Amino acid sequence: MTAEELRETIARQFGRSLHIRTLDTGSCAVCEQEIRLLTAPHYDLHRLGFFFTPAPRHADLLLVTGPMIRAFEVAVRKTYDAMPGPKVVVATGACALGGVYPADPFTHGTVDAVLPVDVWIPGCPPSPLALLHGLGVAVGRLAEKVQDLPFTADDQPERTRGDS
Amino acid sequence: MTLWFIRGIRRGVVTTRYPARPDASARFLPAPPAFRPRALTRVTATRLVTACPSEALRLDDLALVYDVGRCTACGRCAAEAPDAVQSSGEFELAATVRSGLIKRIPLRETR
Repeated sequence: MTAEELRETIARQFGRSLHIRTLDTGSCAVCEQEIRLLTAPHYDLHRLGFFFTPAPRHADLLLVTGPMIRAFEVAVRKTYDAMPGPKVVVATGACALGGVYPADPFTHGTVDAVLPVDVWIPGCPPSPLALLHGLGVAVGRLAEKVQDLPFTADDQPERTRGDS
Repeated sequence: MTLWFIRGIRRGVVTTRYPARPDASARFLPAPPAFRPRALTRVTATRLVTACPSEALRLDDLALVYDVGRCTACGRCAAEAPDAVQSSGEFELAATVRSGLIKRIPLRETR
């Protein structure tokens, strides 16, 4: 049931093939635009052994976008329960990580409130490259980098493109 | 295609490595900010917290707490204080631990 379990199973049993079910829990659909771009020739998700599937019964990985609106909670739980184990939940985008909407009577605000999330992919929206990296992290083929990034810059101020 | 097929038959693996080479378009992607602790006084940090629309920034006693997961890379903090904030250029930010996305940025000591 855990991500580590799935990582071993993917390498051994699934022949490096993994099926993804996407779930939109009230996002603005820009995350979906980026997810759709993963199948474009430039990114070509299939060369890495990932496939999209329309049925949660066939899925190993649940790619959740949006702030988890309360009206969708039952459907989310049913989707998660319908997936065979071991399974991985990936929360995608700033909404799913609690950035855009607060918890209120209409939304939970985060995906963590309903599902056990294994991998978090920040970004608004996360670019296809960020999504590919996130999927690689989810199956243990790429190392996560963000733990060691300090997000500080101590060098002298330089004029970049954005400044004027 | 033929080479790929023969290699796949021989090794039993048909998927490729990722990334095969760095993506040329990566530097145009919006990236979350990186902060400059030397220019980050408490007054500046308060302005940044006010400017942030997605509550990614929070101020506690000693540091500016920056939640990368909540950041939408809108650039309003960089517009508010260009001397203290710049783009980090990082976009591959997936994490397996939620707390790994929460960063503490030290403030500059003010007399």
